[in-house]
Amino acid sequence: MNIDVLYRPAHSMARVELSPGEAIEAEAGAMMGTTTNVEMTTSVGGIKKGLKRLFGGETLFRNTFRAVGSSGEVLLAPSLCGDMTVLDVSSGGWFLQSGAYVASSDTVDLNTKVGGFKSFFAGPGFFILNATGQGSVLVGAFGALEEVKVDGELIIDTGHIVAWKADGKLEYKVEKAARTWWKSLLSGEVLACRFTGQGSVWIQTRNPSSYGRKVGLMLPPKKG
Amino acid sequence: MQHAVKHGPSFSTLTVQLAAGETITAESDAMITRTADVSIEPRLNASRSGGVWGTIKALFIALIRKIFGGETMFVNDFTASQAAEIRLAPVMSGHIVHRRLENERILLQPGSYLASGAGLSMRLQWAGLRGLLSKEGIVFVEISGTGDLFMTAYGGIQPIEVDGSFVVDNGHIVAFETGLDFKITTPGGGMLGFFGSGEGLVCNFTGKGTVWIQSRNTGALVDWITRLLP
Repeated sequence: MNIDVLYRPAHSMARVELSPGEAIEAEAGAMMGTTTNVEMTTSVGGIKKGLKRLFGGETLFRNTFRAVGSSGEVLLAPSLCGDMTVLDVSSGGWFLQSGAYVASSDTVDLNTKVGGFKSFFAGPGFFILNATGQGSVLVGAFGALEEVKVDGELIIDTGHIVAWKADGKLEYKVEKAARTWWKSLLSGEVLACRFTGQGSVWIQTRNPSSYGRKVGLMLPPKKG
Repeated sequence: MQHAVKHGPSFSTLTVQLAAGETITAESDAMITRTADVSIEPRLNASRSGGVWGTIKALFIALIRKIFGGETMFVNDFTASQAAEIRLAPVMSGHIVHRRLENERILLQPGSYLASGAGLSMRLQWAGLRGLLSKEGIVFVEISGTGDLFMTAYGGIQPIEVDGSFVVDNGHIVAFETGLDFKITTPGGGMLGFFGSGEGLVCNFTGKGTVWIQSRNTGALVDWITRLLP
């Protein structure tokens, strides 16, 4: 499987080349086009898994695209303006903020982690997926993507986290953004994630929920 | 205060290196990352030396801004206990520009403020009665003192060196130097010009100084989305 990301950073599109028999799983709605020998199947992947996904702000269904007979091509795109990148899962895996997930090789295992009550308040985007196994994960961002190397301690706003290394060298903890809850609320940051150890964190340079709130507040109230 | 702007113009971020004891003030919710040696302290978006009356006035203006402009009433002070790094970003897609102030004043359209160094103070200023007609805002944010100012915008930021006069659509103003006089007016063409030209109100700048303008207009985005809503 080979994945190229084109039209970066604002309007990124991924071109996935599949060998005969190879398959890629993608979030519902991400497919732009496929060659005619690519077969699509839709699955929930088990009711419990599907519900967890829905709860975590993702789609209930996930589509699998398999090249049958000969090699094939799938074009994928996320819905927001922003960059995408391909992460290699084989060396220890990755944690993803669930809204960042676009697609993954069917050899990659994805598990939703419900991260306790704090991450519940971090907004629908902050459910965590753990990608393990072999293959690649395609993640999408709102805005540009940047890889930040943590060596020691780094605090990141939960709305800007895309993915981080899951090889055990990087600890994470969702906590209040300032010293007290009252100050965290006033600061507008509310929750942040504290990373400790060594490893990579990918961040997105815009926060989708902040953007939605800002533009949303300027819109007229919904009728009815 | 060392700084770098990356990922511009659309998805710009500002990275600032803080020395021990240094403070940067930033718009609410602007922080992306900070190292562990940076503390965060929210405070009311007002001058630090305004006294009780100043605070009440600031609270009142901030409330009005909140109602009309969707703005937040608080800013955050980030202070480094040792050498530290902080990364900031605005909410909208757009660029960030830096302007060093040396005992000067600059007026900003609310929403253009991203961050400022400790030597700068912030005050809200009425744009005059005619500003009430303008949907883009009825107040300006006045930044004065000595220090680094970081402004943001919706879209790209174009500086215009005015020497004489220049007309800018109200929705496209980012900031301007106080060497310029401004008058909010209709774009010409009488009543039809005001209601039919799609330009709303314009700002007529006269004098000598810089006006920064943005290549997109939040009001126009909102109008466009509003028409598409069910």
